[in-house]
Amino acid sequence: MKEKIKILVVDDEEVVCRSVNRILSKEGYRVDEALRPEVALEKMKGAGYDLVFTDWKMPGIDGMELIARIKEIRPETDIVMITGYSSIESAVKAMSLGAFNYIPKPFTPNELSNITARAIERRRLLREERSKAEKTYVIFEYVMPDDLYYLPEHAWVRVGEGKEVAEIGIDDVYQKTIGRITKIDLPEPGGLVTQGNPYAEIHASGERIYQSFSPISGMVAEVNQELKRDAGLVNKDPYGKGWIARVNPSSLEEDLKNLLHGDAVIKWWLKREIIERRQENYVNVVALDPKFKFEIAAEPGGEKIRSCFACGTCTAICPVREIDDEYNPRKIIRMALLGMREEVLASNFIWLCASCYSCEEYCPQGVKFTEVINAIKNIAVREGHIPPSFITQLELIRTHGRLYPIDDFDNKKRKKEGLPPIRMEAGGAERTYELSGLKKMMTKTVRPSP
Amino acid sequence: MKYALFLGCTIPARARNYELSLRKTASVLGIEFVDIEGFGCCGFPIKSVHHETFLLLAAKSLILAEEHSLDICCPCSACTSVLTEVNKKLSEDKDLRQSVVEKLSPGKTYRFQDSIRVRHIARVLYEDVGIEKIKSQLKRQLTGLSVAPHYGCHYLKPSEIYGGFDDPGNPKSLDELIEAIRAKPVSYEGKDRCCGGAVLAMNENISLAIAEKKLKNVKEAGADAISLICPFCSVMFDDNQRSIETKFSESYQLPVLYYTQLLGLALGFDERELGLNMNKVKTAELVARLGQKL
Repeated sequence: MKEKIKILVVDDEEVVCRSVNRILSKEGYRVDEALRPEVALEKMKGAGYDLVFTDWKMPGIDGMELIARIKEIRPETDIVMITGYSSIESAVKAMSLGAFNYIPKPFTPNELSNITARAIERRRLLREERSKAEKTYVIFEYVMPDDLYYLPEHAWVRVGEGKEVAEIGIDDVYQKTIGRITKIDLPEPGGLVTQGNPYAEIHASGERIYQSFSPISGMVAEVNQELKRDAGLVNKDPYGKGWIARVNPSSLEEDLKNLLHGDAVIKWWLKREIIERRQENYVNVVALDPKFKFEIAAEPGGEKIRSCFACGTCTAICPVREIDDEYNPRKIIRMALLGMREEVLASNFIWLCASCYSCEEYCPQGVKFTEVINAIKNIAVREGHIPPSFITQLELIRTHGRLYPIDDFDNKKRKKEGLPPIRMEAGGAERTYELSGLKKMMTKTVRPSP
Repeated sequence: MKYALFLGCTIPARARNYELSLRKTASVLGIEFVDIEGFGCCGFPIKSVHHETFLLLAAKSLILAEEHSLDICCPCSACTSVLTEVNKKLSEDKDLRQSVVEKLSPGKTYRFQDSIRVRHIARVLYEDVGIEKIKSQLKRQLTGLSVAPHYGCHYLKPSEIYGGFDDPGNPKSLDELIEAIRAKPVSYEGKDRCCGGAVLAMNENISLAIAEKKLKNVKEAGADAISLICPFCSVMFDDNQRSIETKFSESYQLPVLYYTQLLGLALGFDERELGLNMNKVKTAELVARLGQKL
């Protein structure tokens, strides 16, 4: 497998090229060198490469420009930018141009080898994802909750109230591409961390050791002791129970400027995807409503939507999905998290939930998807999206207090069979509808779904 | 054992065979049912449409039961689930309880789960009546009858509201109830899966396909009949079995009996007393195979 992976290293320092070549060739990859960016571009026009390592500062075409030009020629190529430790801003810029990752100089053979392995794993995940029949809507391989700040594809930071303590961890892309985490060498409380520099070592399956880069600078106040017992928490819940450290920031305002947050995260992703020419499956970013997930979370039952980690367990267990792809819990929740409000609320598929609760029973995150879908449906109804059969049900219960009215004829039959009469409640559920506000809502917004 | 009987919407209109067999079997097992005027819809059909209305409808019935100082027994699994959920929620969340009670019965106080329990009839039979008592009342052996238990969804799920009763992934209470009447419970693929009923009004194709899958698995496992404990599951497997056979060009001819009907047969009631004449898939052949009354 490895011998099929072709790697190009671009650096005006021959010693760097040789060194990268030697390390990765030993691992079994096919490695070429280019001492000048122009030569690299010529080589790219030929057979092309799966992965390119490029220096940032080179005479003539610099690393940034080279990334952009390689992406024009071969958008599927993964690129790793070789940078200095202090150039995190450039690293983020490089990644927004389509670079897969960055590696700070000086690096060890192990770091080089691991970053290569991650790039290859990411390619595999993308191929796998693309082959799935989930192409109606956005392909959003990784989960990045938008209330956090990101050093994309690496780390996140959650800023607490008062900004005195910030929680940091690794993001979903990072954890997915390094595989099963077996151990984490945590930093010492009281130690200093610097934005863009390594602060923890992550041991993953295959005996690989990865560096985790800090998204901010400051002093470590606390580390997640739970990770000593179960480092796999990072795989299971990278943004929650899998936090790594709490830091007293030293220059938070400045650090945050170098990170991505909120809508910028979605835009960054979309730009990345467009660079990789996969934009045809994407929705208009302007139409996304990043507040939609908070709206759902505010509904009874919707509280845990943001804990979803898109693992797909709900989809695997869903009896409706087994029959019809149109109903796909994972896809629905991803659309909701991404902010595809109108598409979700006006859809017919939200009404296909069987309310069987299987997804809830097996969800590792306790998301309670059946309740989440009920929360979504409650919002949809308020916006006027309700299937005709539900309007009929609402009317029957309002007027008779039950779905199946019992009349005198039915009661005669019941009597004949020795069953007691069913007395219909006078006024049905009208009074309850008034108390709950449903009656008012029905006159205003309840109309059939398109 | 005295319970307020909560029949819900479907049973009085579409599952009188369930109600008949339920009342008959309860009478010999020491269960007394009280029919409370004012019980209507449990709120289940409205949960996905308007949460507040769902909450108030369920709370209204719970309040009625508490005013009668009676636990609720539901033969319908969806009613059980909804009433159990709201009963739990209102006893745990003081603010919510106050706001709900203020709307429905201003100035009064109710304790909900701290005062009354909600129990499915199968759980009442399993826990409150008990396997031994059932065995002691048998008047007819169902030996040789292979029965596939269909648990449905809401009898055990969501499990967090049921306080650890049975295991929704590998349930056994209905199997044991079947064993108690000397029939043989049959294990089959997808035993814990849904009947598809909740999707019927929205998409008949999906709904029937889900039910068909189960019928197929049950048939392949060699069961003589399906036994279930929810009226809407019966709509799917009994009422719709012919439509499923036509749609999927299959022949199942699988009798579908409420557990209380099977129990009634074992307790010595005749077919008509148990409403077996109302079952859509004919049960005469199956009943003919049973042993004589003792």
